[in-house]
Amino acid sequence: MTALLRAELLKLRSTRLPLGLFLGTLAMVAVTVAVSVPQVDAQDVPLTLDDSRLLAVVVGESLGVPQVMAVLLGVLVSTQEHRYGTATSTFLVEPRRIRVLVAKCLASIIGGLTIAVVSLAFSLVVTIGLIRSRDGDLTAGPLLWQVLAAGLLVLALYGVIGVAVGALVRNQVAAVVAVLVWMLAVEYLLLPALPSLGRWTPLGTTTAVLQIGPSLDLSVSLLAPPVAGLVLVGYTVAAAALALVVAPRRDVM
Amino acid sequence: MTGVIAMHRLTKSFGSIHAVADVTATVVPGRVTAFLGPNGAGKTTTLRMLLGLVAPTSGTATFDGRRYDELPDPVRQVGAVLEASGFHPGRTAVDHLRVISTAARLPADAPGRVLAETGLAEDARRRVGEFSLGMRQRLGLAAAMLGDPEVLVLDEPTNGLDPQGVRWLRGYVRRLADEGRTVLVSSHALNEVEQTADDVLVIARGRLVRSSSLAAMRAEAGVGSRVRTGDPDLLGAALDAAGQPYRRTEDEFAVEAAPESVGELAAAHGIVLHALAATGGLEQAFFRLVGEPDPVEDAAPEEVLR
Repeated sequence: MTALLRAELLKLRSTRLPLGLFLGTLAMVAVTVAVSVPQVDAQDVPLTLDDSRLLAVVVGESLGVPQVMAVLLGVLVSTQEHRYGTATSTFLVEPRRIRVLVAKCLASIIGGLTIAVVSLAFSLVVTIGLIRSRDGDLTAGPLLWQVLAAGLLVLALYGVIGVAVGALVRNQVAAVVAVLVWMLAVEYLLLPALPSLGRWTPLGTTTAVLQIGPSLDLSVSLLAPPVAGLVLVGYTVAAAALALVVAPRRDVM
Repeated sequence: MTGVIAMHRLTKSFGSIHAVADVTATVVPGRVTAFLGPNGAGKTTTLRMLLGLVAPTSGTATFDGRRYDELPDPVRQVGAVLEASGFHPGRTAVDHLRVISTAARLPADAPGRVLAETGLAEDARRRVGEFSLGMRQRLGLAAAMLGDPEVLVLDEPTNGLDPQGVRWLRGYVRRLADEGRTVLVSSHALNEVEQTADDVLVIARGRLVRSSSLAAMRAEAGVGSRVRTGDPDLLGAALDAAGQPYRRTEDEFAVEAAPESVGELAAAHGIVLHALAATGGLEQAFFRLVGEPDPVEDAAPEEVLR
C-alpha cells in the first residue's frame, strides 16, 4: 500500500495542474479574507470589528474555496486516469482495484491536508494583518483552535469525497461540472432558502463544523459542530464505500 | 515451462452482442504469436480480459495457471502495451515510468534502463504531449519492459510507427522471443507480422477461426497473382480453359496461381499483360478466413513486371 500511495503522490507532483489549483486557491483565500473583514465604519454587519469571534470566523470563512479545491483535487485523482487512459497501466501494476482506490483516497487526504495547512497559515497571516490594520479585535481563543482543527478535518474528508465522486462518474468534465454546480449553486441556494434541509447538506454541516454561522446569520438552524462533524464523516464513508463497491466491477476499455 | 498463456472458452458479451465467443487457445514461450483479425473482431477485448481489465462473461484466461489478478508480482511477470494514448500529456516520459516502477516496487534504475533499450534516453525529460505516435509506442513498450517480464502482450504495436520504427519493432520482438519470452502481438494486418510471427491465432467476429503455425498456414495457402490486361475477356477465357480459379474486376484479375504460370499461360495465348504481380497467397487465405473482401485488388502491386 505504501508503494501505491507513493505512486499516487508522484502522479500528483508530476503534472502542473495540482500546483495551479494550489496557487489559485491561495489567491482566492486572500480575496475571501479581504471581503470578510468588515470596514472600519461598518455597523450593519453580522460581525463587527470589535467582535471577539472575528479572527476565528474570518479564517473559517476563508476555507470556502479550499473546500471546493480539495474536492476537485480528489475528482482529478480519479478521473484523470480515465481521461488520459492511464487507468490501464495503473490497473496492470495493481489489478486489485480496491487497493488502488484506497491509495487514491489516502493521497487525496494528504492533498486535502496540504491545502488545509497552507491555506490556514496563509489565511491567518492575511486576516491578522487586515484586522490589525483596521484596529479590530484579534482574540485568538479556543474558537480559533476549534476552527483550525475543523479545517484540517473538513478538507481531508472533502478530498476523499472527490475521489469517490470521480471513481463513480469517471467522465472528468461531467464530474467537475457536477461538483461545481452542487457546491457553488445548489448548496448555497438551499442553505438559506430551506435551512431545515440545507443544514444536512455537506455545506450545512461544514458551516456548522467551521462555526462560521454567525457571519451568515444562520447559527440558529445549524447542527451542533460535533454532530455536524459526524454527519460529514458519515457522508464521506458512504461515498467511499459506494465507490469501493461499484468502481472495481467496471470494465476498463 | 513458464510463461504459458492459456485461454479457455473465453467469452464476453455486451448485452446481446458477443464481442468474444468461446475462444480457446494456448500461447507458448520462445515464439512470437500473432493475434490476427480485422478491426472490431474482438482482439482488444480478448487481450483486456487476459489482463484483468475486462471481466469475462464466462471462461478463463491465465498465465501459468493463474488469473492476472492472482499474479503475485504482475509487472515482473507480464508486460503489456495496450494503447498509444495511455499517457498523461503533461507528464514527462521518465515520470510516467517512475510512477509505474514506484507502484511496482522496482529498482530505481529501471526507468533509465528501459528508456535506453527503446531509444528514448534523450527524450526522458520531455513531456509526453510533445511525443509523436511512434515515440509513444516506444514509451508504451518501455513501460511494458520495466519489470523485465517473461510474457509480453502487445496490442497493435505498429500503429503510428514509421517504416524504420516498424523494422526496429520487428527486431526487438524477435529478440525477446529468442530470449525465451512469450510474445503475443495483435494486428489487423497479416503482412505486418508475416516476417516475425511463428504462430498465428486468427479471430473473426469474436470467434477463433484458426490456430496454427504460420508455416503451416503458408504451406496451405500457396501463392497468387494479380494481373491486368487490355484483353480481359481473352485472359478470362484462357484461365477458364486452364481450369485456374480467379476473381475478376473489370480488367483486373486475382488468380490463385504463381505469377510464372499466369505469365506463361498469357504468352501461350498471345495476351499482352499490362501488370503482373505476386500476391501473398497467405494474405488471400487470411481474408478468406476472416470472411472479408480482399483489398489487394485496390492496392498498388508491390512488384510490377512489364
